[in-house]
Amino acid sequence: MGPKSLTLAQRLILLVALTVTMFPIFWIVMTALKPPTDWNAAPAVWLPSEPTLVNFATLFDPDAIKAYGLSGVSQPATPAILGSILASVSATALSIAIGLASAIGLSRYAKMTKWTPLMILSGRMFPPAAIAVPFVIMFSATRLIDTYAGLIAIYVAVTLPFSTWMLKSFVDDLPREIEQAAMLDGRSRLMAHVTVTIPLIKGGLFATTMFIFILNWSEFMFALVLSYSNISTIPVQLAKYVTATAGTLYGVQAALAVVAMIPLIVAGYAIQSHLARGMTFGAIKR
Amino acid sequence: MSDSAQIAPMHSGPATGAAALAPPPPAHPPAPRAPRARKPALRFLTLPGNVISLLVLVVPLLVALYMSFTDWSPTGGSLLEASFVGLENYAELLVYDTRFVEAVGRTLFLAVVCLSLEFTLGLGLAVIFLREFRGKSMLFSAFLTPMMILPVVVGYTFWMLFQSNGPVNQLLGALIGMQNVPEWFRSAPFAMLAVIVTEVWHWTPLFFLILLSGLNAVPENPVRAAMILGASPRQIFFRVVLPMLKPVIVVAFVIRGMEILKLFDEVFMLTRGGPGSSTETISLYIYKLAFNDFQLAYGAAGAFLVLIGTLIVINLMLLPVRDQLVKGKA
Repeated sequence: MGPKSLTLAQRLILLVALTVTMFPIFWIVMTALKPPTDWNAAPAVWLPSEPTLVNFATLFDPDAIKAYGLSGVSQPATPAILGSILASVSATALSIAIGLASAIGLSRYAKMTKWTPLMILSGRMFPPAAIAVPFVIMFSATRLIDTYAGLIAIYVAVTLPFSTWMLKSFVDDLPREIEQAAMLDGRSRLMAHVTVTIPLIKGGLFATTMFIFILNWSEFMFALVLSYSNISTIPVQLAKYVTATAGTLYGVQAALAVVAMIPLIVAGYAIQSHLARGMTFGAIKR
Repeated sequence: MSDSAQIAPMHSGPATGAAALAPPPPAHPPAPRAPRARKPALRFLTLPGNVISLLVLVVPLLVALYMSFTDWSPTGGSLLEASFVGLENYAELLVYDTRFVEAVGRTLFLAVVCLSLEFTLGLGLAVIFLREFRGKSMLFSAFLTPMMILPVVVGYTFWMLFQSNGPVNQLLGALIGMQNVPEWFRSAPFAMLAVIVTEVWHWTPLFFLILLSGLNAVPENPVRAAMILGASPRQIFFRVVLPMLKPVIVVAFVIRGMEILKLFDEVFMLTRGGPGSSTETISLYIYKLAFNDFQLAYGAAGAFLVLIGTLIVINLMLLPVRDQLVKGKA
């Protein structure tokens, strides 16, 4: 199928698809920049009449919106933002470290069976709503509930299949002769992996790290059921804002939504050539 | 042959170490017999991952499984003191609980509708991307953006778009002159449509991405051969290209199928399952059972039914390509 140029119909399809893809993102960003009078105006206001950053300021200082005569949000989003950073970064680091060990172990020292793909996937099949129930019970008994340690433990376990299989697919791409050469130089297997395997999959390691970060940063349900008052994450805070204010503080909620998605879009674009690999547990390489 | 075999083997050649003592499977070319260092295989590398999966996934699963056979509730004291009711919860769910059965049916309906739309739209876009045009790489990035955004934010964004005086209704009025614009979240069919639109917007990019990488890897020779034999482009696409894409298509459906059967975040933000329970998915219903009504044991039983169902469905879907995933050969 040689390269051909586009027909007019195809150009139109691409234009429509691009508009549909970008419109929701445009809308949420514009809403975050709108002053309160524009939020729910009828007819809807597309571009902010006077662009403002007050919605973002309100996330950190609930009183900021008072300049517009509104009572503001019940709580700042600062703890949720810090909580999201703490939980996502720690869980990602742990998931990558453990996943990397498993990936090398599986790639170099294990044998797959025809059931292996199913076993990898089965961990992702269980509805989180159900696995959350025993977690609440077990974590209440061990005082891990409403702590970041508990949340991080779950995030590590939930993302481990992704980090393991994505990293394994990168290790599989390396010929093992390279490591064997290092071993002939007198290095132990472990040192061969540390000095040869890991540096050679640097790019894959980075892509996997970003991918696991995206998963952790996006997680909602476990954070929802395991947080009471001590911990919070951005998705939980966004849900709380929508419930507590009956959805009327559109601009502030949109500002938090924008804060939530910026790191993901940056991370996503940085690794876009590896997204398919991550999503398919390494089954599709690019 | 194209140099990029897109479906990666999950099994990668003969193992070293002790396993190599057994004769290698004849199907594989003999491994280069480099003088192998007689050093112990590092089997312990997988240990931390296995321990964590065991502690944090398998143990809670077993607790939930036990719980599903009891009538335990959080106010009734310890789980160990709860009375054993056998399969009562399961029978109740399947026979009497119409809300559960409806949630299952609704989730399956959503899965079929959304995945068909995502597949069709994703494939259409991917085919266009086989051509060369200016701005292709920028457009490629743009089309991937939705799948990078977190589900909660996607749900919230579409909730805003579908407000009664939001932009969607405004466009419906302006473009097709609709007079009585719908109250999207007050009518069951419109709420369902909002959920479908949201899902399709969010995840068509994944189908597009997976199918495009599959299309790019289709070897040229069979296509050329078909062309020389006088096949029309349509015939080539449906008879030559699509069959070669089958494993890639299955992977896409399996991955998306697993996720959509657990659909929660977007619906939670969009409709909370409403109006009534008309957009309630399985996950949402189980969540409400467990965390609003505190019927934890009952909810756990529901979850196991879903798990069993999902295992069967996904395994059936994997069947035609399983060998390929394991051995990495067509």
